Amino acid sequence: MKAAPFAYVRPATVADAVAALAETGGDGKVLAGGQSLVPVLAMRLGRPGTLVDVNAIAGLDELATTDVGLRVGAAVRQRRLEHEPAARAVPLLGMALPFVGHRELRSRGTVCGSLAHADPAAELPAVACCLNATLDVTGRRGNRTVPAPEFFTGAMTTVLEPDELLTAVTFPLARAGEGFGFAEVARRHGDFALAGVVTRVRVTDGVVAEAVLAAFGVSDRPVVRDVTDVVRAHGTETGALRDPMNQFAADVVDTAGDAHGSTAYRRRLFAALAARELAAAYRKGSETQ
Amino acid sequence: MTQTVRAAADESVDVRLTVNGTPAVVHVQPRVTLADTLREQLGLTGTHLGCEHGVCGMCTVLVDGEAARSCLLFAVQCEGADVVTVEGLGTPDAQHPLQQAFSHHHALQCGFCTPGFLMSAYDLLAHRTDVQPDELPEELSGVLCRCTGYRNIVAAVADVAAACPEGVPEPGNLGERTLVGRRAGDMTHHAPERSEQEASRAPERVAVPSGTPTTRVDVSARMTSPVEKVWDVLGDVERLAPCLPGAEVTEAIGEDRYRGRARVSLGPIRLVFNGVAQVIERDADRRLLHVVGQGADAGGSRTQADMRIVVYEADDGTTLHAEADLYLSGRIAQFGRALAGDVSRRMFEDFAAALDEAAATGSAPARRRAGLRLAVGAALAGIGGVVRRLALRVRSEVRRTS
Ligand SMILES: Cc1cc2nc3c(=O)[nH]c(=O)nc-3n(C[C@@H](O)[C@H](O)[C@H](O)COP(=O)(O)OP(=O)(O)OC[C@H]3O[C@@H](n4cnc5c(N)ncnc54)[C@H](O)[C@@H]3O)c2cc1C
Ligand code: FES
Ligand code: FES
Repeated sequence: MKAAPFAYVRPATVADAVAALAETGGDGKVLAGGQSLVPVLAMRLGRPGTLVDVNAIAGLDELATTDVGLRVGAAVRQRRLEHEPAARAVPLLGMALPFVGHRELRSRGTVCGSLAHADPAAELPAVACCLNATLDVTGRRGNRTVPAPEFFTGAMTTVLEPDELLTAVTFPLARAGEGFGFAEVARRHGDFALAGVVTRVRVTDGVVAEAVLAAFGVSDRPVVRDVTDVVRAHGTETGALRDPMNQFAADVVDTAGDAHGSTAYRRRLFAALAARELAAAYRKGSETQ
Repeated sequence: MTQTVRAAADESVDVRLTVNGTPAVVHVQPRVTLADTLREQLGLTGTHLGCEHGVCGMCTVLVDGEAARSCLLFAVQCEGADVVTVEGLGTPDAQHPLQQAFSHHHALQCGFCTPGFLMSAYDLLAHRTDVQPDELPEELSGVLCRCTGYRNIVAAVADVAAACPEGVPEPGNLGERTLVGRRAGDMTHHAPERSEQEASRAPERVAVPSGTPTTRVDVSARMTSPVEKVWDVLGDVERLAPCLPGAEVTEAIGEDRYRGRARVSLGPIRLVFNGVAQVIERDADRRLLHVVGQGADAGGSRTQADMRIVVYEADDGTTLHAEADLYLSGRIAQFGRALAGDVSRRMFEDFAAALDEAAATGSAPARRRAGLRLAVGAALAGIGGVVRRLALRVRSEVRRTS
C-alpha cells in the first residue's frame, strides 16, 4: 500500500504548472488535496511518473465574490468553503459539503479536485451542474471557460486535456426567489451516495419561473434536467411530484445495480428524493422572493 | 514559495516542518507519506496505519490545526507545516481531558484506533463549541473502531464537549523536545542497506535531551563504603565504567567524552547500543555527577539519557541518589514505559552495589550481579587498564505507542 516512485514538482505559477504537465508528455498528474489521487497511487491503480502539486501556486487559494458569482480557486479546501461566510451566498455549498467524505478529508480535499476527479457519485459535480457553474481551464493552448454540464463526459472523465489545469470554478450566487434542495442516501455518513439529488427552483410572483434538478450516483456522470414544465404541470407538493419523478427515473437512473442497491431501488430512491427536494426548493424560493 | 520545487523519483529531499512544537528536518523521497515519516524518521509511532488509503482514520493527525489523514499526504508536501500527533496531546502524567475521558469511559479496548479518535475529536471540539451529542456519531464517522464499539467513544467525547463549553484545552505536550527516529535521516528505499556498524555508529557530539522523557528513574541506594571513597570511584572512569551493567568504554575522545557500548539482554531481547557519553558537570562540593549519553542499536532502537548522580553521607555509610530521564524510540518502544522504568531502576540498583564494592576494594568490581542477567561484554571481565571502559547506558524504552 505504498505509492510507486514518482517525481514531484511544486510550481509557483499556473504557467509553470502547465509547462511541467506538458513536459511529462501525458505521464503527469495534478496533485491537489490528494484525497482521491493518493488512494489510487497507494493501491497501485495508477502510477504517474510525475505529480504536479498545485497547492503552492500563487493565487489559486483565492476565494472571491465577483459579479458573476463565488469564484473558488483550485487550491481552496472543501472545509474552508464549508465555513466561509461568503459561501452562504451559494446555499447549496453549505448543504452539500458536509456530505463530501469526512471532516478529516475535507480539510485537505479541494473543491476543484472533486470536480476534476469527476466521480459519478460525488456531490460537488452535481451542485456545479445544477447551478450551471463555470469552470476556468488553462493549458498550453490558452484559457477556456467550460459550463459545468459540458465538463463531465463520463465516469472520472472530463474535457480536461492531460496538460490542462482547472484553475477555478465560479458558482452563481442565489438570486431572490431562488430556493434549493439537497439530499442523498449513503450506506454510512461520508460514503459516496447510492443516489442523491440537487434541486433549484426560482419563483417569481408565486409562479415557478425555473426548476432544475441534478442527480448523482445514478449514472456515469451528473444528470441534469430542466423540470420547469413538469413542476408547472403537476404542482409543487412532494406527493404531486412523486408520480412524474417515477416516470423520470427510468430516464435519469441508468447505473447498473450493485451489492448496495439494485437499479430499481436506486430509481425509487431518486424519485422519492427528487420529489421531496423539488418541493422543498419551491417552498424556500417562495419565502425569499 | 516563488520557485518551482522539484524532486526526482529516487531523490531524497529535505523537508522542514514543525512536529509537536519541535522543528524537524526530514529527508524523504517524494513517495513517502507523512505517516511513514512520523513513524520511521521521527519515532512517533503513536500515529497508526490501518488501510493506508484514506478509509479508516487510524493515521489522523493535525496539519496546520486541522485533522487530516497522514497516509494521504506526502511528506514532501509538508514544507513549513505544523503537525501535531497524539504524542503532542498530553503526557502520561498530565493527560489531555480527551485522554482522561477515553480512559474513564473505557473508550478503548485494543487501542489501535485511539490515536485517530483522539485527534479527530480534538479537531472537532477545537473548532466547534456547540456540538450536540446527537451530532457526534456523524462527526466521528471518519475513524473506524473494530473492537470497543462506538458508544463509549461517543460518550467520552460528549463528556468533554459538555465539560469544556469554552472550547477544549490545547494539546498539552508541545514544545522543543528530542525526536529520535528509528533510522537516522534518510528513507531511501533503493539505497543499499547500510552496514550494521555504520547504522549505529556513535556520533561525536552528545545532545542534551529535552522534552518529556519516555521514562524517569529516581532511585536511592544505601552503601556501606564511606562517601569519599564512593566519590573517588565516580571520578575515575576506569573504575566507574565496569560498575555499569553491560557497559564498556571503548575510547576516550576528550572533553570528558567517551565512546562506548552498552549491551542489554532481556528475555529474547538483545540490543547493543553504540554511543557516546559526556560528563557535563562534576561538582565535588555537592558530590554531583551529571552525565548525558546517547546510543543507537543497529536494529533501529535509539536512546538518550540525562542523569544526575549525587552521593552523600548517611549513617554508617553513603546514600546514592540517581535521577535519570530516558528517551527511547524505535523498536525498543515495544518495551512500554513501565517495563523500561523497571529495568532501568534495577540497573541503577546493580550499579550502586557494584560501585559500593569498587569503593570498598579500591578496584573495579570483578563480577556483576545476576539479577537481570544483563549480558556483560566479555572484555568487561578484565578490569581496569587496557581498555578504558565506561559505562553509560541508557536503555530503555521508548515512547509508548501502541
Ligand atoms: C474515504 C473517502 C471517502 C470519500 N467520500 C467522498 C464523498 O462522499 N463524496 C465525494 O465527493 N468525495 C469523496 N471522497 C473524495 C474527496 O475527498 C476528494 O477530496 C475529491 O474527490 C478530490 O479532491 P482532491 O482535492 O483531494 O483531489 P486529488 O485527489 O488531488 O485529485 C483527484 C484527481 O483530480 C485531478 N485534479 C485535481 N485538481 C485538479 C486541477 N485543479 N486541475 C486538473 N486536475 C486536477 C488529479 O490529477 C486527480 O486525478 C472521499 C475520499 C475518501 C478517501
Ligand atoms: S491509514 Fe490513513 S486512513 Fe487508514
Ligand atoms: S479499540 Fe480496538 S479498534 Fe478501536
